[in-house]
Amino acid sequence: MERQEIIDGLVEILKTIRTIDQEKLKNVTEETDFIADLGTPSTELINIAAKAEQKFEVEFDDDDIDDLGSKVKDIVDLILRTKERG
Amino acid sequence: MVLSGRKVAVVGMGGAFPKCTSLDHFSDQLFSNQSLIREWDKAVAHGKNVRSTVSGFITEAEMNLETVFSTLLEGYPEVYVDLLNRIPPANLSTADIGSIWAMLGSLDAIKMAGWTDKETESETTGVVVGSGGGGHEIQRNAWHNFFELGKKTRLVGSHTVDRAMVYRDAANVSCLIKNKGVCESIGSACATGLGNIGHAYRLIKFGLQDRAVAGGVEGTSLETFIGFDAMQVLSRGFAPEESSRPFDKDRNGFVCSFGAGIVCLEEYEMAKARGANILAVIDNYFNNSDGDGDMFYPSFAGQQRLWKGLLGNSGFKPDVVKAHGTSTPAGDAIELLSIVDCLGTKGYHISAPKSQFGHMLGAAGAVEFITSILMLQKQRVLPCLNTVNLNPEQENFQKTAAWDGPKSPMADFRDLLPQKSIDKEINSITCLNYGFGGTNSAILISKDN
Repeated sequence: MERQEIIDGLVEILKTIRTIDQEKLKNVTEETDFIADLGTPSTELINIAAKAEQKFEVEFDDDDIDDLGSKVKDIVDLILRTKERG
Repeated sequence: MVLSGRKVAVVGMGGAFPKCTSLDHFSDQLFSNQSLIREWDKAVAHGKNVRSTVSGFITEAEMNLETVFSTLLEGYPEVYVDLLNRIPPANLSTADIGSIWAMLGSLDAIKMAGWTDKETESETTGVVVGSGGGGHEIQRNAWHNFFELGKKTRLVGSHTVDRAMVYRDAANVSCLIKNKGVCESIGSACATGLGNIGHAYRLIKFGLQDRAVAGGVEGTSLETFIGFDAMQVLSRGFAPEESSRPFDKDRNGFVCSFGAGIVCLEEYEMAKARGANILAVIDNYFNNSDGDGDMFYPSFAGQQRLWKGLLGNSGFKPDVVKAHGTSTPAGDAIELLSIVDCLGTKGYHISAPKSQFGHMLGAAGAVEFITSILMLQKQRVLPCLNTVNLNPEQENFQKTAAWDGPKSPMADFRDLLPQKSIDKEINSITCLNYGFGGTNSAILISKDN
């Protein structure tokens, strides 16, 4: 799975989080920070992770979620890493 | 009635009301003797598994809200969308349906009060709002997915606590209006609505706050409804609009309903000084417990002490008694006889708003407080709808040796209970509400002179 494909999927998830300013979703890159750049309430990060699990058909370990950074590339890395782990 | 010390004024009202689009609409319906009770499709859908199918319920669409269901968990209302953009998404994300009604009611009440942002956000502005039940709809779906379906906790998201906690209504209102004074909820079952207003009154009266947003909420919830249905205490066997019939001899239970009532209270001299429209003055609030160890059965002695606590030895007689009047067999009889025992048989009327919209549980006392303010404004008594026939015989408990209350049958007090709204000069109203656990609450309000 290509990284851009994952980013596009993440943006689709972010569109369902109503506390995020939808205008800011037009220029999401790997370096976009969910909290600093998108203003995502920290309480919503677990919702994003759970929806990512469903969308990309993966199951994250609790430790990985605990250590997850707040940038888009962090969750892209985690999705790819989890997929490789199988 | 004059009491020393700080006085408290009612300066704003708002809420959520069955079948009504606004407070004005609600008022029009009530004074034109309409019932707001309908057959509830959600209850009917469960066939013979539910006993009662009537309710004064409110749908999301009627409040211009839309439910977004979770893609992760079947049936879980992940968030509500405000189609009129009255509440920001961040506040909606932490709210169950009742909390949203509380926030909408608060916005309307504050607007009516005319408070500036500075006043609303002050350290001397409190929020005192509560519910009878928990966030049942949120919890049931979350728990079902974890316990029965074996799903991970994170699939339900991060808002089951804030959307279901006991004081969620107050917390959501406070986060919306950004007050810096107290934020808390009083819980006293079906006296909750009046209990929160009474507590807020005391905060201002005792000088701890200058303003308060206060009231009670009960969000539409079949989970709440079925608990009472199981107790066999809900009305059945009548057309929806005839189901709630306080004091009528054929009454067989209450109509489980939902709603929200929010009021703005303010220290009287401050309200007066800024030229506020004073809707009413709160003269006194009193609450107590039956003390007889009975969770459910009403207590004549407890209600006698309630009246004594409210009025003392003043001999004061309000123009209207806004009764709890649930339409349950025991409750209405004890209540009517305790009112008569205290006030006599003439010179006042009894109004039973539950006859028109049912029993809103934790919201009841607050919404009925609002109906009392409306009675003061309109100078009209709201009716005891469906109070068609009163028992011409003594109640069984009146025949016992232990009974020390009025011996007359309920039918002797027919003239106190208007079946239609009537014009009347109204200067003062007493509101009564009681709850499981033997809790009793009473408040006395009057026109500003």
